[in-house]
Amino acid sequence: MRGLHVYILLAAAALALVFADQLTSYWMHVAIIAMFYGILASSWSLLAGYAGLFSLGHMAFASIGGYASGLLVQWYGIPIPVGMAAGVALCCALGGLIGWVCLRMSGPYLAIFTLGFAEIVRITFATEDDITSGMAGLHVERLFDTPSRLPYFYTAFALLAVSLLLMGGIVRSRWGLFLRAIREDEQAASASGVAVARFRILVFAIASGFAGLAGGFYGHYLGILTPSLGGLDLMAVLVVMTVIGGIERLPTAVGGAFAVEFLLEVLRGDDQWRLPLFGIVLLLTMRFARNGLLTPVWLQFVRLGEARAAATMASRDVPQKDPGR
Amino acid sequence: MNKGAELIRGAGLIKRFGGIVANDTVEFAVVEGDLVGLIGPNGSGKTTLINMLTGHLVPDGGRVVVRGREMRDQPAHVYAAMGVARTFQLTQLFGRMTVLENLLVPGLTRPRSKWQAVVRRARNTLDFLNLAHLEQLHAKNLSGGQQKLLELGRCLMLEPAILFLDEPFAGVHPHLRDELIKRIQELHEAGRTFVIVDHDMESILRVSQRLVVMARGAKIADGSPAEIRADQAVLAAYAGL
Repeated sequence: MRGLHVYILLAAAALALVFADQLTSYWMHVAIIAMFYGILASSWSLLAGYAGLFSLGHMAFASIGGYASGLLVQWYGIPIPVGMAAGVALCCALGGLIGWVCLRMSGPYLAIFTLGFAEIVRITFATEDDITSGMAGLHVERLFDTPSRLPYFYTAFALLAVSLLLMGGIVRSRWGLFLRAIREDEQAASASGVAVARFRILVFAIASGFAGLAGGFYGHYLGILTPSLGGLDLMAVLVVMTVIGGIERLPTAVGGAFAVEFLLEVLRGDDQWRLPLFGIVLLLTMRFARNGLLTPVWLQFVRLGEARAAATMASRDVPQKDPGR
Repeated sequence: MNKGAELIRGAGLIKRFGGIVANDTVEFAVVEGDLVGLIGPNGSGKTTLINMLTGHLVPDGGRVVVRGREMRDQPAHVYAAMGVARTFQLTQLFGRMTVLENLLVPGLTRPRSKWQAVVRRARNTLDFLNLAHLEQLHAKNLSGGQQKLLELGRCLMLEPAILFLDEPFAGVHPHLRDELIKRIQELHEAGRTFVIVDHDMESILRVSQRLVVMARGAKIADGSPAEIRADQAVLAAYAGL
C-alpha cells in the first residue's frame, strides 16, 4: 500500500492535466520550461546529490542531446522521437566516457574538469557555423505542427513523469543505496563490495541520458537551439534550482526547479534584482538549510501517509526503504 | 581449532612511497581458522600491508594470492567478493546513511541476494552487536566504539572468509572494547579467520593465537605470543634499538 502523499500527488497531477487548457499561452510556456528544468534538476540530483559527483557539464549534455536530435532529423529526415532517442543514446555514451575519464576525480577537480568539457561543447557549437549555424541558432523541426502549446505541455508532463519514475526506481533500488555509499565514502564502498568505478560510469551515463532527453525536447519545442543552452549561465540556474529545492531528493529537486522558474517569471518586472535575489537565497540555503528549503516541507508531506504505509510494511516484514526518496 | 587451507598470501610484497620503502619484500600468509595479531611500532608498514592484501593499494613488487587465485591489480570490491573484508584505521562508515543501510550495502552486493533476506540478516547482525536499537540512526551519530562495532558488522555482512581489523580497539571505551573482543572471540570460535592490527598489546595478547611483528617495513618475527615475548629482535624494535 502506498503512502497518502502518493495519492495526493497523483490527484494533483490529474488536476494539472485536466485543467491545463485553462492556462494562458504564456503560463503554459512557463510550465513547460519548468518541466524541462524538472528533468534536468532531478537527473543532476541523481548525479550530484545521490552519487556526490558534482558535475558542471550537465547542461552541455542537454545541448548535445538537442543538437544531435535536431541535426539528425534535419539531415536524415528521421522521425523526431527517433532523433531524440539517438540524442539520448549519444549523451549516455558520452556521459559514460566522461565518467570513465573522471574516475579518479571528485570535488573541485571534477567540477573544473566538467566545466572545461561544457565550455568545449559550447564553443564548438558556436564556431562550427556550417553545421550548427553558430550563434545565429539552429532551426529545429518542431514536435507538433500546431500553434497550440497544449500538446507540448502534455509531452513535457509525460517525459518528466517517466523520467521521475525511472530515476525513482533507481534510487529506491540497491543501486540507489550503492550510489549513496559511493557519495559517503568510496573506499569504504569498495571494501563493502561495491564496484565503484562501474557505478560512477553508470550514473554519469544515466544522468547524461536524461539531460539529453530534456535537451532534445527543448529544441523540438522551441524550434531553435543556440550554444548558450550548454553555457555556464544556465548551469548556474540549474544548480540554484536543485540546491534551493534540495539536492538529495528527486522530488525536492523538481520542486526547486518549479519554484525558481515560477519566481523568475513573477519577478520579471524587477529585472535588475531578480538574479541577485536568487544568489542571496542560495547563500542563505547553504548557510542555514543545506538539505534545501523544500526538503523539510517534503518530509512533512511524506509523513502524512507514513504511519499507514509503515504499519503495512511491518506486517509484511518489508525493508524500510526511505519513502522520502 | 583445526587449521585449514591457506586463505591469503602476500609473497615478496614491496611498496614504496616516494623514497620511503613502506613494505620491503614482506611474506605473509593466513590459513583458515587463524587469529593473527599484526603488531609493530608506528610507521612499521602494518596498514600498508593490509591495504595491499585487501586490494586498496597496488604493490610495487610481489603478488597477492587469495584462495589460490592470483590477484593482479584487482580492485578492492573483487577482494570483498572473494570473502576478504576489512575495517579501517580511522573508522570509515557511510555517515549520512542509517545504521541499517550501512549493513545493507555489503549484504546487497552479494550475488543473488534478496532485499528482504538481507534486511533480516542485517537485523540479526545488529542484534549480535547490540546495535539493534540504533538501526534508524545515522551512522555519524554513533559513538566511537559503536562505530567500530558497526564497521565490524559491515564486514560480517560480506560473509567473509577472512577479516582484517585495522586498529579496532583504538580510542574505544574499555567497556565497548571488552564487548568487541568478546564478539571477535565468538566469531573466531564459529570459524571466522581474523588478522588484527593494534597498538593495544593487552587486547592483542588476549585474542591472538599467533603474532606477526613488523619493523621498518619488514617482517621481523612470526610465532606464538610466548615466542614473540622472548624474541630479542622484537624487543629491540620496540625499544628503538
